[in-house]
Amino acid sequence: MSRENDGFEFHPTGLQRFLDAAYRVINVFVRWDRLPMLMAAINFAAFRDRLRARNLHHTGYGVPSAGKWKPGYERWRSADGSYNCLAHPRMGMAGTRFARNIPLAEGVPETGEALLEPSPRLISRELLARHEFIPATKLNLFAAAWIQFEIHNWFSHGAPEIGNEFKVPLPPGDSWPENVNGCMHIQRTAPDTSKREPWLGATPTFQNFNSHWWDGGQIYGHDHPTQMKIRSKRDGKIKFDGDMLPEDLPDRPGIDFTGFNDNWWIGLSVLHTMFAREHNTICDGLKLNYPEWDDEELFQRARLINGALIAKIHTTEWTPGILGHPALDFGMHAQWSGVPYRWMRTLLGEDNEVAHGIPGSETDQHSAPYAMTEEFTAVYRMHPLLPDTVRIHSLDKRKHKPKTFDFLRVQGKETRQLMKDHGFANVLYSLGIANPGAMRVRNYPNFLRQFQKDMPLKKAKGPLSREAKLPLMDMAAIDIMRDRERGVPRYNRFRELVGKKRVTSFEEITSIPGIAQKMREIYKDDVDRVDLLVGLLSEDLPEGFGFSDTAFRVFILMASRRLKSDRFFTDDYRPEIYTEFGLDWIRNNSMKSVLLRHFPELGPALEGVKNSFSPWNVVA
Amino acid sequence: MAMRITIPGIIRLAWLTDPDEVIAANDSGVVQRSLSGLGGLVQRSIAAKLAVFRTADGDIWPAFRDRADPLRTMSQSELEKALADTRGLLKRVAPETGAIATYIRSGSTNRPPEITVQQMVGRLFFPDYAASEESYDAARALQTWISGGPIKSYLLKCSGELERALDLIITLARGNTSCAHATAIAMENIVEAIERMRRLAQTSDNLEKLSPQEAIAATLRAPKQVVRETRDGGRVCGTHLGARTLVVLRLETARRQKPEAGIEFFAKGWNQCPAHAIVPALLAEVWKKAKADKA
Repeated sequence: MSRENDGFEFHPTGLQRFLDAAYRVINVFVRWDRLPMLMAAINFAAFRDRLRARNLHHTGYGVPSAGKWKPGYERWRSADGSYNCLAHPRMGMAGTRFARNIPLAEGVPETGEALLEPSPRLISRELLARHEFIPATKLNLFAAAWIQFEIHNWFSHGAPEIGNEFKVPLPPGDSWPENVNGCMHIQRTAPDTSKREPWLGATPTFQNFNSHWWDGGQIYGHDHPTQMKIRSKRDGKIKFDGDMLPEDLPDRPGIDFTGFNDNWWIGLSVLHTMFAREHNTICDGLKLNYPEWDDEELFQRARLINGALIAKIHTTEWTPGILGHPALDFGMHAQWSGVPYRWMRTLLGEDNEVAHGIPGSETDQHSAPYAMTEEFTAVYRMHPLLPDTVRIHSLDKRKHKPKTFDFLRVQGKETRQLMKDHGFANVLYSLGIANPGAMRVRNYPNFLRQFQKDMPLKKAKGPLSREAKLPLMDMAAIDIMRDRERGVPRYNRFRELVGKKRVTSFEEITSIPGIAQKMREIYKDDVDRVDLLVGLLSEDLPEGFGFSDTAFRVFILMASRRLKSDRFFTDDYRPEIYTEFGLDWIRNNSMKSVLLRHFPELGPALEGVKNSFSPWNVVA
Repeated sequence: MAMRITIPGIIRLAWLTDPDEVIAANDSGVVQRSLSGLGGLVQRSIAAKLAVFRTADGDIWPAFRDRADPLRTMSQSELEKALADTRGLLKRVAPETGAIATYIRSGSTNRPPEITVQQMVGRLFFPDYAASEESYDAARALQTWISGGPIKSYLLKCSGELERALDLIITLARGNTSCAHATAIAMENIVEAIERMRRLAQTSDNLEKLSPQEAIAATLRAPKQVVRETRDGGRVCGTHLGARTLVVLRLETARRQKPEAGIEFFAKGWNQCPAHAIVPALLAEVWKKAKADKA
C-alpha cells in the first residue's frame, strides 16, 4: 500500500501489462529457461515488472534525518549515501533499515520452539557440511572473492548482539567444543532500537550499517571520517603504503585499511588493492583533463567513475558468469547498455530502459523507497563458494612451487604477510585458475563450520572493543538462524511469495541423490518447514545456472533496482557529472582490462579468456 | 472436527466449531491473524476487505494486529489497564446505562438504544465522546463491509460510503484505533446483547427473578466468527491444515458447546479482549438499573 511505501507506487505501462498477462499464460506451459533466447529474456522483463509491483516493501527509514547538506552533493555521492534521492535524502543512507521483498506480515519470525526447529546445528551437520569439495567448474575463485567484495559494498547488519544468545540444542553425539549445557550459543543480529512506525506490525527491522547504494563503499567507506582516513589528500588519490594499502593498525594487524575490511582474506585484499589503484589511475586521467580541479573534486569524481565501473563489471561479467544462460547474458548486457537490435530500440522508444539500458534512463523507485532487503541478504548467502584450502601458484614456476594453504592461513591477520610473500599477481593467478565451490547442499566449507574470528569485535554502534571475544561459530547454523530470526520465510513460502508455485514434496525440490530423503527425516515429512538456505542449495538448477531459480527471482528485481533507483546511474549518468572522460572510461573498460592494467604479467593467463570470472589459462 | 472446502484457485477453507479446536487454533503459531490474500479468489476478497482497517498513516487497527506485534501487546495492556477501573467507568457512563435500562424495562426510549450503546462505549475512552445517527450509520456501514455480501460491499466502496464511514469513526475516536474498533465493530455485540436483554426482561417475570449474572449468561454471545489464515501447512489439535487455508473460527457455536471456556473474550488467550471485565460489568449495571426502575 502506498501509504506505507512513502507514497511510491508502480505504474505499469500498457506493454508491461500485456507482457505480464502473456507470460503468465506462456509460463503455464513452458518454463522461462526452455523458451527461445529472446523470448526468455523478455520473460525476465515480465518477471521483473511483476516483482517491482508486488515485492518492494518499505520498513521505514529508522533514522530521524539525513546529515547536513554539503555543497557538492548535487554532483557527487555523499559518504554515507544520503541525498542520493534529493526529495527523500535519507533513502539508502548508512544506518537506515533493510526493506523487504515480501509483504510485511509475511516477514514475522516464528517464536518459541518453532524458531529452533529443526536444529540449525543438525541441518549444518546433515545437509550442509562438505563431504567432498564439489567445484563450480565454470567459475574461478576470483568470482567468489568478487561477490564478497560486492556484498561489503551493499550491506552489513553490524556486529551481533552480546548476550541473550539463541540456545540451540546439540544433537546427541555432537562434539561441539563450546557446549554450554548441551547447547550451542548463537548470537542475535544487532537489534534496531529506532522508533517503530505503527504500520510495521510484527515485522522485525534491522539496520544496514553500510550505505545501501552501489557506491563503492567497501573501498571508500560508509561515513565521512573513514573516507577521510583512506585518502592521501593529494590529487584525489587513495593512500598507499608502497604497492599495498596501509595496514589497519593498531586495531587489525595483518589486515588492509580500507572502507570495509571485515572477514578479510587474500581474495578481498587483491580486489581492494586493485580497485584502489584503479581509482588512482582515474585520478591521473581526470587531472590531465581537468588540471584546475582540487583534491576533493578529483577524489569524488574518480569515486563515481570507479564505482560505476565496478557496477558494470558485476552486471555484464560476474552475473552472466555465475548464471551461464544465453538469455541471462543477453538480459544483463541489455540492462547495462540496451538491446543490440535497432528495430527493438525503435519499437520500444527513446526512454525505454530495456531498449537503451538503465544507465542514463530516468530514476524510478517503483513501489517503495530504495533499500537493500532482508530477502536479498538471504539469497546472497554464498559461503559454499569458498574452498577449505587454497593452492597458491606462481606465474614463474622456477621461483616458487605451488603450495596449499588451509583457508584459515589465507585470511584474517595472516593476509598481508601472505600477500607480501607471494605477490599480488601470483595470488590473483591462483584465484583465477582455481574453482570455487558449487552452490549446493553438502558443500559448505568445513572451516566455516567451526570458525573463530581473530579480530576484535566491532560493536554495532560503538568503538572497537579489544576485550570482547567472538564465540566459536558454526556459520552454516548461523546462516540458518539468521533467516529465521529476521522473519525470512522458509523455502516453500518464499517460492510462493516471489511468484513460483509451492512444492508439495521433497522430490519436487531436488533430484540430488539422498537429499530428499534426508530432508524428509530432518523436517519430519513437512515440506513447508524446509529452510530457505537448504531449499536454495538443493533446488535443481536451470541449465548453466550457478545458483537456484528461486534466488534468481530476487536477483532479477534487486540487480536492476540497484541501478534504476540510483540517481547517479540514471538521471545523473551524464557527462556533466561523470565527465566525458569518465563515461568513456566506464564504457571502454572491463574486468580484464583492469586486471591487465595493474598486473600486466597476467597477460598469458588471461589470453583468450572471454569472462574474467571463468577459469583462466594455466600458464605452463 | 474441522469442515473443509477446497476449490483450487477459488478457496481453501476450514471451519472450526469444536471449542478445543477453536482455542488451540487461536493459540497455535500455525494460524495467523493477518490475511495475505493468497490461496484463492475468496481469500483475496476477504483480505482486501480487512485491509481497509488502517488509519491514513497506515496504523493497523488492534484487532487485526498479529500476535507478535509489539504494538498490539502494548495497546492491549494499556487498554486493559484503562478499562480496569470498572467502578469509575460505570460512574462515567451512568447516563447511558440509565437510558439503556429504561429501554430494557419499557421497550421504548427517546433515543435509539444502539446510538446510546455506541456513545457509552465511546465514553469509556473519551468522557466527551458523542455518538449520533451518522456515527452509528458509519459503524453499520463498516459492519456491513465486513460481513455483507459482495454486492453490498461493492456498493459501499463505489459510493464512497466506506471511506466516509472510516473517516468519521476514526475522527470521532481521535485517531485511537482501539476506540475506533470498539465503537464501530465490537459494540455491535453489546447492541445485540441489549436487545436480547430487552426481550428477556419483557418475558414473564424475568426482570424480577433473574440476577444480573444470569441475565448476562442468557444474553451475552461471542462474535459469530473470526477469520484467520495458515501461512504454511501445520497441525492444529491433530487436524492438518494446508498452507494458505482460510480458517474460520466459529466462536459462538464453540461457546455454546463450552460456555465456561470464555471463548467470547478469548479468556486467558494472547488476544484476550481488553474489555473482558467492563462489558459484563456494563450489562450487569444495565440489568440492575432496569430491575431497580421496575421496583
